[in-house]
Amino acid sequence: MYKIRTRFCKIDLIKFISHLDLIRMMERSLRRSNVPLAFSQGFNPHPKIAFATALSIGVSSEGEYMDIEITDQIDIEMFKEEMNKQLPNGLKLLKCIYVDEKSKSLMAVIDYSDYIVKCELEDGLSETDITNAVELFLHQENIFMSKVNYKRKNKISQEINIRPLIKSMEIVDVKAREIIIKMNVATGSKGNLKPEIVIERFAHIMNIPFILDKTRVHRLELYILNNDKLVTPMD
Amino acid sequence: MNRLQIEELLYAVEKPARYIGNEIHSRIKNIEECKVRFGFAFPDVYEIGMSHLGMHILYNLLNEEDGIFCERIFAPWMDMEDLLRKKDIPIFTLESHSPIKDMDFIGFTLQYELSYTNIINILDLGKIPCKSSERNENDPIIIAGGPCSYNPEPLADIIDIFVLGEAEEVILELVEKYKLWKTQGKSKQDFLSNIASIQGIYIPAFYKTEYNSDNTIKCFYTVTESAPKIISKRIIKYLDKVFYPNKVIVPFIEIVHDRAMVEIFRGCTRGCRFCQAGMIYRPMRERTVDHVKQLAHDLIRSTGYEELSLASLSTSDYSNLESLVNHFIKQYGHEKIGLSLPSLRLDTFNLKLIEEIQKVRKTGLTFAPEAGTQRLRDVINKGITEENLISAVTDAFALGWSNIKLYFMIGLPTETAEDLDGIADLALKVIDAYYRTPKEQRTKGLNVTISASSFVPKPFTPFQWFEQNSLEEIIEKQRYLKKLLYHKNIKYNYHDAKTSILEGAFARGDRRLGEVLIKAWEKGCKFDGWGDYFNYEKWMEAFEEVGIDPGFYGARKRSYEENLPWDHIDIGISKKYLINENEKAKEGILTHDCRKNCTGCGINEGSLGGIC
Repeated sequence: MYKIRTRFCKIDLIKFISHLDLIRMMERSLRRSNVPLAFSQGFNPHPKIAFATALSIGVSSEGEYMDIEITDQIDIEMFKEEMNKQLPNGLKLLKCIYVDEKSKSLMAVIDYSDYIVKCELEDGLSETDITNAVELFLHQENIFMSKVNYKRKNKISQEINIRPLIKSMEIVDVKAREIIIKMNVATGSKGNLKPEIVIERFAHIMNIPFILDKTRVHRLELYILNNDKLVTPMD
Repeated sequence: MNRLQIEELLYAVEKPARYIGNEIHSRIKNIEECKVRFGFAFPDVYEIGMSHLGMHILYNLLNEEDGIFCERIFAPWMDMEDLLRKKDIPIFTLESHSPIKDMDFIGFTLQYELSYTNIINILDLGKIPCKSSERNENDPIIIAGGPCSYNPEPLADIIDIFVLGEAEEVILELVEKYKLWKTQGKSKQDFLSNIASIQGIYIPAFYKTEYNSDNTIKCFYTVTESAPKIISKRIIKYLDKVFYPNKVIVPFIEIVHDRAMVEIFRGCTRGCRFCQAGMIYRPMRERTVDHVKQLAHDLIRSTGYEELSLASLSTSDYSNLESLVNHFIKQYGHEKIGLSLPSLRLDTFNLKLIEEIQKVRKTGLTFAPEAGTQRLRDVINKGITEENLISAVTDAFALGWSNIKLYFMIGLPTETAEDLDGIADLALKVIDAYYRTPKEQRTKGLNVTISASSFVPKPFTPFQWFEQNSLEEIIEKQRYLKKLLYHKNIKYNYHDAKTSILEGAFARGDRRLGEVLIKAWEKGCKFDGWGDYFNYEKWMEAFEEVGIDPGFYGARKRSYEENLPWDHIDIGISKKYLINENEKAKEGILTHDCRKNCTGCGINEGSLGGIC
């Protein structure tokens, strides 16, 4: 058994397919590429492929990762080339490497993501004002969001402090009605935060006139925390 | 090029991937180089339309031609429709995101009557007048085909051209004539007269109907010289020679039939008396084993699908099914590519074969006894026995199946309470068969699903004269069955009786229904096939306002002498045969499978010249 790790992008209109759609699409692209897939056991066998984390519908990315288990070793460059012929527009393998077949699953090792977020404003705002707002926002010890959980049939509303999940947040660009923000937030099974929530909390607490349903998110990269340093799943 | 910017809309709708196009094997062509733009429209959502094999065939057939660009159009879901109307954006094709008004042709496929309001809605969203007479020279030509077009009359005011029968040849003949006409600068009327004599083409505007005082049809006649009195359907003679795609669009989102499909034969020789497909698709023509193997191979490799389906009206009737199945399992089993065989008959059911298939992927088993007693099964000429069913399920339980689905119909001609009791009896006998299976052999958790739809008499069947059950009768029968089928191992499914009444009216309706249809749409009716959105009260208001009783078309018994709205259509089956079959039904006399011996339906005689 061998394991290939791939980094890929999901951009343009294909950002509107769901994570489940993506899995199915990848499986079929792998079949079209004639890759010697390894399968799960059971009544409904599936190729053994695993993703780092799911993207929400409408979020684009250039830092997605997928592991594929195969039964025979194949030329990695040829694999990449063939797959890129089979993938639809907007999806592309950027880098492929062999990793130890026993290596931990991507989902288990991921800690942080970098995102670029485009926000639209109802009214213009100066660069100083928005920069100060970000600083104040991050200066808080606690930033609460409410989360609804279901325990059996009971609805339980919980207040969660998301501040520890935000590693960094900075203003990249300010235009008349548009602000570009870059942020690094927790991602993965140990803690997960969606950038849309950060933007919503930021707008609410700092009173920023964002048009929230115009928030557009793009993921840049996924990171693993390794001895206090952020490294990518390919490093 | 007139490409609409739709990205912003996609953030605001459920399942935006329905609208993005760009799937593997979808086609993009340079519009400037295309003389003919064809919009293939399925009047329902993407997931349903994309499951339709006919669309994949014609889409690829047209796009194989230089100079023709075929794109897809589906009904947008309500949320998308609201946005399009609010922002005044016309509905668009999936491939180039062009307004549908830019097409030369829009071709609707008519798979079920309850999709008719969606046709009007799509045209309206495309800013195209829905009535043929209100469209001008610049509007696209609206054509339609598919099983419901064998009674085209309810849509006569809306559709410009109907294509009757198998479209692979006639669609290209039509487009060729259109290309020529386009260079001549003549009127649309001129084009229509020009094509009216092509076999399989029906132009409703060239015909008129007169009615008797009792509302039945007095006469039906042509008002244009080139239009034939009788319109014959088209038949493809040799399936191995006709176009079949070796690659099909692979959708991003999960669709209803999410698999590669190879059609193994057309037509059916069984002659079930309720079944319209069994009549209109005659004669039976098989694809050769080698051709099926080749197509399957190409499709599996080009799509990457994990499942292949062998499509036909009665898959176990294929002459060489066993060798085909064994071939597929040997060839693709290790790649975990599953095989699905829909439409298996109980009497020719080979469980060993199914067991082989299920080693790759396991699914439930579905059978269609259709009626609860032997008497009624003989009336409808189903020719299946209780022993067939019980022996099949007994074997299945011993091999570890525990999910069985059985299809029945209620409201069939001559049905009595005894026949309904028979459905429950059969269900209980299936349950008995399970508990008689030794514990160590059977799988825990028996599920018997009983699905009972309400019978809707269809044109060109021996039951085309039959009076459909009234709403009250259907509801009463459903209640009766519900009580009988109350059991921990049984799940009972049934359709909304009201939709069957509407389907019944449109299935055998005439031209006067066009007005009702438009009125119902104006009142907000659409997606009538989707239980949650079907509004029976609005439909009844529409009937009332136009002054038409839906029961006139559905619940009324017709005489053999009455002129039927579809009498000008020739499907190759003689009325004499249908009458004879109807009479035999009343006596409960079976008609044998016509593969053994010709039963004289007429398909191999006369002008159509079908070869059996």
